[in-house]
Amino acid sequence: MKNRRDSHDTYKYVRTDTSTLDKVIDVHDVYVKRSKLRVLFSYIGRLILLANMSLLLIEKDKLSIVSFWRLFLGVVSAKLLQYKPIKKESVVIMPSFGVQLETHYWNGRIDRKFIQMGKILKPVLNECVTPVTCYWSLVLVLRDEDQLALVFQKLQPPIKILVPVWKALCKSTNLEDHSHSLK
Amino acid sequence: MEESRRKHRILMVSDFFYPNFGGVESHIYYLSQCLLKRGHKVVIMSHAYGNRTGVRYITNNLKVYYIPWRPFLMQNTLPTFYLTLPIIRTILIREKISIVHGHQAFSTLCHESLMHARTMGCKVVFTDHSLYGFADPGSIHMNKILQFTLADIDHAICVSHTSKENTVLRSGIKPETVFVVPNAVDTAMFTPAPTQLARDEVVIVVISRLVYRKGADLLVEVIPEVCRLFPHVRFIIGGDGPKRVRLEEMREKFSLQDRVEMLGAVPHSQVRSVLISGHIFLNSSLTEAFCIAILEAASCGLLTVSTRVGGVPEVLPEDMIVLAEPAPQDMVRAIEQAIDMLPNIDPQIMHSRMKSYYSWHDVAKRTEIVYDCVMDSSNKSILERLPRYLICGAWAGKIFCLVMIVNFILWRLLEFFQPAESIEEVPDMASMCNHEDDN
Repeated sequence: MKNRRDSHDTYKYVRTDTSTLDKVIDVHDVYVKRSKLRVLFSYIGRLILLANMSLLLIEKDKLSIVSFWRLFLGVVSAKLLQYKPIKKESVVIMPSFGVQLETHYWNGRIDRKFIQMGKILKPVLNECVTPVTCYWSLVLVLRDEDQLALVFQKLQPPIKILVPVWKALCKSTNLEDHSHSLK
Repeated sequence: MEESRRKHRILMVSDFFYPNFGGVESHIYYLSQCLLKRGHKVVIMSHAYGNRTGVRYITNNLKVYYIPWRPFLMQNTLPTFYLTLPIIRTILIREKISIVHGHQAFSTLCHESLMHARTMGCKVVFTDHSLYGFADPGSIHMNKILQFTLADIDHAICVSHTSKENTVLRSGIKPETVFVVPNAVDTAMFTPAPTQLARDEVVIVVISRLVYRKGADLLVEVIPEVCRLFPHVRFIIGGDGPKRVRLEEMREKFSLQDRVEMLGAVPHSQVRSVLISGHIFLNSSLTEAFCIAILEAASCGLLTVSTRVGGVPEVLPEDMIVLAEPAPQDMVRAIEQAIDMLPNIDPQIMHSRMKSYYSWHDVAKRTEIVYDCVMDSSNKSILERLPRYLICGAWAGKIFCLVMIVNFILWRLLEFFQPAESIEEVPDMASMCNHEDDN
């Protein structure tokens, strides 16, 4: 089993290769530091919503448009400040079989998505442009599908962390292409 | 001497770029390609066109950012003043841009980019491609914005001496800071017909947008008169626009269906094939800073008849163009003169001369000189630059100063919340390709 670590201020990258029988399963984990400030803000947002709802219940005889507006603002602020802390995102590469994309949350929940190796046309380092910023992301171009599949669904790791994951994905998809062409 | 040339990293900004087609768009494209060949790094920024948004690589790894700000009027991005600051800052840092080159006074994205680039201490250059008036409300407004943008600019480029005069008068900048670098034409694409056309019938070609500004109303007066005076002349009109209806009515009224052919909108890739089917190119614009269409026609070996407006007299020598006042009678006289000159015209010789007069490589070389001058100018702090805005007007000067101060504060706030170090720089595609080749 081989490990490799790389760190960034917000993200920590760990690579683990596990050998089983004749295959090597490649696991790339990107850990994210939990932001205490964001946790605090999310509690503040919930407190604001709770306070607004309590006020509404107390003032139920004197309800007006202002009360509903306050409730609406409370819901919006709670939603905006909401923080679902992610513990890590993993990419598990099983050669000749597929790629599993996992998102692990601090509350124990794990979201998984499996993509067959044959379905992956190419992993691509893509530059995403939004109205306010531009960042790198790692995506999979899938056969017969219009949409690209994001490898890291929630996190935006830096390019230093994306490159080794991209290279590992390229290597396993190239092996698959070679085995297909030999057949 | 060649090796000691400085290499710059340039960001070309304009609302007008491909897939939209026009003079500004092709100017930016050709200039960028020639600058890339000269070893500079060039990145283009424009707004999104429909589904075309994000990063695209076009010929020779020329990178284009289509930022997802929708156009709101005539392909212009909605003017937001400060909202484009984050994305422009990100692009300037990740591409390590040293010079921001804005194109076209009518482009709001260009003005905002130049403002943000100056705030960030980047060098800026502006190229004006069109002539504008002074009297109507739209022009007054546009000129004030231009005055603001050019108040703090070190150098600007205009495409003709007439355009330089127009820009200097509109914006109040010093004439010695304005360079004149004309447009050019891709002579490899616009070549004459392999065999010369027969001269028993004279074909006059018109290719332009059929709008007021391009003199479509003049055509309505000129064509019937020419057809009456010269029975062996026929017209081919390519292009579309609101004035097309008037031309169709003229055809019907004078029964010129067999002598005036209307082609409708002509894609740029087919312009050459339309041009080489004629002997004379007719341009009836009421205003032109330069007019690339005349160059394209001359490169294809056509004799040009044009209105004497704007920068048109500067474009071609007297034996290649016949000029007329923008009045129907004078234009008919000019067409008569052109028909008499036709036997002396050799399209191949005209094409060779055009090749020696105009080339995009020459434009790139001259633009490089402007970039070198801009890089040599000193860096000034915000306090040293604010007085340049104050002289723009009693009230306008103060408003401009306030706008720049707010922009500066917003930039510092962005630097605090998102430091420049956290924005990853993009590796150069060319060096990456060489690295892969070596491996």
